[in-house]
Amino acid sequence: MSFLTPTFLALAALAVPIIILYMLRLRRREVPISSILLWQRLMQDREANAPWQKLRRNLLLLLQLLILAALVIALARPFIPIPSVAAGSVALLIDASASMNATDMPGGATRFEAAISQARALIGDLASDEVMTIITVGTSPNVISPPSGDQVVLREALRRAEPTQASADWEAALALAGASIAGRENASVVILSDGGLPDNLPALTVPIRYIQIGREASNLAISALATRPQEDEPQLFAAVTNYADQDADVILSLEIDGELLTAERVNVPAGKTANRTFTALPASTRVIRAWLSAPVEGGISDYLPVDDVAYAVYTPPASGRVLIVTEGNRFLQQVFSSFPALNAFRTAPGELPQEPFDLMVLDGWLPEKLPDTHLLIIAPPASTDLFAVGDAFTGVRFARQVDDPILAFVDFKSVAIREAALVRTGGWAKPLVEAVDGPLLLAGASNGRRIAILTFDLHASDLPLRIDFPILIANLLQWYSPTQPFDAADSLRPGQPVVIRAQAATSGYRITSPDGSEQTFSVGESPLSFSATTQLGIYRVELLSGSQVETEASFAVNLFSPDESRIAPVDAIVVGETEIGGKADRDEYGLRELWPWLAAAALAVLIIEWWVYHRGSTLPWRAEEKPGVASNQQ
Amino acid sequence: MPAERLFDEKTLRKLEQLRLIAHKVRSGAVKGERRSIKKGTSIEFADYRDYTRGDDLRRLDWNVYARLEKPFIKLLEEEEDLTVHILLDTSESMNWPPNGLGGVGGAISTVDVHKFRYGMRLAAALAHIALTTGDRVSVSLLTGARMADRWGPVRGRGQTLSMLTWLEHLRTGGTTDLNAALADYAVRGGRAGLVLLIGDMLSPGGYRDGLNALQGRGHEVAVLHLLSPDEIEPVAAGDIRLIDSETGAGQDVTIDGAMRGLYARRLREWRSEMASYCLGRGAHYVAMETSTPWENVILYALRRAGVVR
Repeated sequence: MSFLTPTFLALAALAVPIIILYMLRLRRREVPISSILLWQRLMQDREANAPWQKLRRNLLLLLQLLILAALVIALARPFIPIPSVAAGSVALLIDASASMNATDMPGGATRFEAAISQARALIGDLASDEVMTIITVGTSPNVISPPSGDQVVLREALRRAEPTQASADWEAALALAGASIAGRENASVVILSDGGLPDNLPALTVPIRYIQIGREASNLAISALATRPQEDEPQLFAAVTNYADQDADVILSLEIDGELLTAERVNVPAGKTANRTFTALPASTRVIRAWLSAPVEGGISDYLPVDDVAYAVYTPPASGRVLIVTEGNRFLQQVFSSFPALNAFRTAPGELPQEPFDLMVLDGWLPEKLPDTHLLIIAPPASTDLFAVGDAFTGVRFARQVDDPILAFVDFKSVAIREAALVRTGGWAKPLVEAVDGPLLLAGASNGRRIAILTFDLHASDLPLRIDFPILIANLLQWYSPTQPFDAADSLRPGQPVVIRAQAATSGYRITSPDGSEQTFSVGESPLSFSATTQLGIYRVELLSGSQVETEASFAVNLFSPDESRIAPVDAIVVGETEIGGKADRDEYGLRELWPWLAAAALAVLIIEWWVYHRGSTLPWRAEEKPGVASNQQ
Repeated sequence: MPAERLFDEKTLRKLEQLRLIAHKVRSGAVKGERRSIKKGTSIEFADYRDYTRGDDLRRLDWNVYARLEKPFIKLLEEEEDLTVHILLDTSESMNWPPNGLGGVGGAISTVDVHKFRYGMRLAAALAHIALTTGDRVSVSLLTGARMADRWGPVRGRGQTLSMLTWLEHLRTGGTTDLNAALADYAVRGGRAGLVLLIGDMLSPGGYRDGLNALQGRGHEVAVLHLLSPDEIEPVAAGDIRLIDSETGAGQDVTIDGAMRGLYARRLREWRSEMASYCLGRGAHYVAMETSTPWENVILYALRRAGVVR
């Protein structure tokens, strides 16, 4: 044991004034009493065990000297050298990738918990002048504690650390670690990980130590789950991979929209992938959840739970069937056939076909009963229960057009119209373009279908000849059948951002995460890039129009990462050109300071001294009468 | 000591219903109101004596009064009087606690726990009881090695006021050698009777020889032992020097929890030793704490001890 500041030992000289003060203290206060007769007899009795009495009288002095000694030695900061993994300025990188959720550590603890307790041990080894930075390495590195020598702060930071369900970005983490200890003396980086670092990491100038976490390799994972439409029915593809070194049987269960569909026994050879295809799923399939479970007789150990569950979302293809009912309006046929995603059919006015259509265009003709689908009505000849058609008016003079996505890049001001009909609706439709004498274009929703009305015959205007016409039709088609509001592939990787686009009337978004938490965003100028996709599972996206849900869709986030599912711990990692072994040697020496113990001892003795002073050195059960509250009589 | 009323009318009346008891009756000089233990005597008229103020009017012979217009008290054969000697220790240690207020159970209370005032009240009350029952009463002060001052002996209830006036001007001082003072009283105290010794018994030489002397003289002795609360449970603490109020002598002590325990035990031993000594000698011993209301001491403690009925 040595001392960091031995000069403070000179304070031991304070013992002299304490002893002097103690001697002075023995000049007794004089207290009058009626008669000392009883006390005299009492003192005579006590002379019998005088040696013990003398010792007791000096007990307070001894305790005070003990306190002084403890404090003086604490100030001199004694220490003992202890072997340590790292000394000086340490950047501690804790792997928080999905594989750290593996439960192969003693007692069923996860690798991340093991890494945290390792980190605690490292913090305990820190000398008082050493600092540590703690970074958890997930999709993006996260500095949970800036450089600090305060063990309490560091431990508190560790308490907040959480593993992620994503892959780790080691390049960014090492760069951050290098920056955090740049310019410090005796700096080093300690990596707590199960391996799985990429090979092409750039070299660091400081020494790196790698403490390997993890013991087992046995893991089964759902490595793919995808849907596609097959002859109007959803089809599901699933892949199960066995990362263990022995063949395994596992139960693959499927749940569709919350109802269990099937559970199938899958045999996966060691190191291989087994594929399964499920057909004839219900046409209404939306959300699919698949999970692995051990067969009843028990299978191989499956240490990583996060890759045992996968999700998929089935989006039925837009059928885009349009029926054009016209006497022979070539403009209409041409413009609808120019949209490749649409299936346009033409029929002459008369009997409507029984097949369902997504949109019907009624050109100058109306059936007796309006069909129950989206409608584009052009030059309605007669009134219906939805609208009234009045007299025609000629000499149409443009009055105004409203600002609406349907009219984006469309200009009616210069459109020449010879004649239009005066159409009045019950208020369900909004006039988008108005002439002086009446509306030219109305649009609105009635009874769940969207209806737009052009009040003039296309042949009676130059609109079909203008570039505005296909734009108007494209805008209307977008309005009739909004497509999915985001571009999500079959499934996203955790942390991968998804871009969400607003639609015509969207005023905000609400995104519900798998854990049920909701986030609401308002529509900005640019599409929303949502990147809080760190949880695995189904995210529901709702496009809000005011407080109404306009459109709703879901996307899935899955791990699907062979690097994370392959949980076998790696013995050595390569950073730059250096290969670093996984068993960090305790070849550094740290200082373990003893002053906190001494300070605690001084406090304890102080409490004892106080107790001795007030209660006497007699143990309570030896006092034959409970003494009254001691109060000094002045 | 302020000249104050030692007790009020109401208490006086309560006391009048009591009487002192002496088991071994001493022969009275005058016929009194006390039943004799002599057997075979009739309860018939024995004698007259002059009426003195304070005598029970029921004892007045109204026929004689009607005839002679002079009051006479009718005495009956079997009744005799008792001489009651009240001895009050006036040593300086009785002047305690100095401010009169004392702790009860360690807490400071407003009760007057002054030992000497308490002793005076007790003496006055007992004397009043004795006077009321027609006994012969004297109150004497023990100072130094002798009986220093004395009131009485007198009889008759009219004497209560004079006794109170005399008591109210007493002062404490000096030390009392109980043995010597009691022996002195045994010689000079007069007729044997009931001796009520009121004091703290804190006398360096002890009390036994004095008690023996009194009992040898034929007195029946009752020791009323007074201690103030802070003597029973000391409030001082720490390393101190105790100064004796009588002699000024000092004693170094370190009062801590253990010391308090020892003191309490020592005190208990001292009292029980005194009690057993008195019991063995056929004397009464009553330990009392001045925080106990003195009326209660007379009405309950002395009754229980057989001194008062």
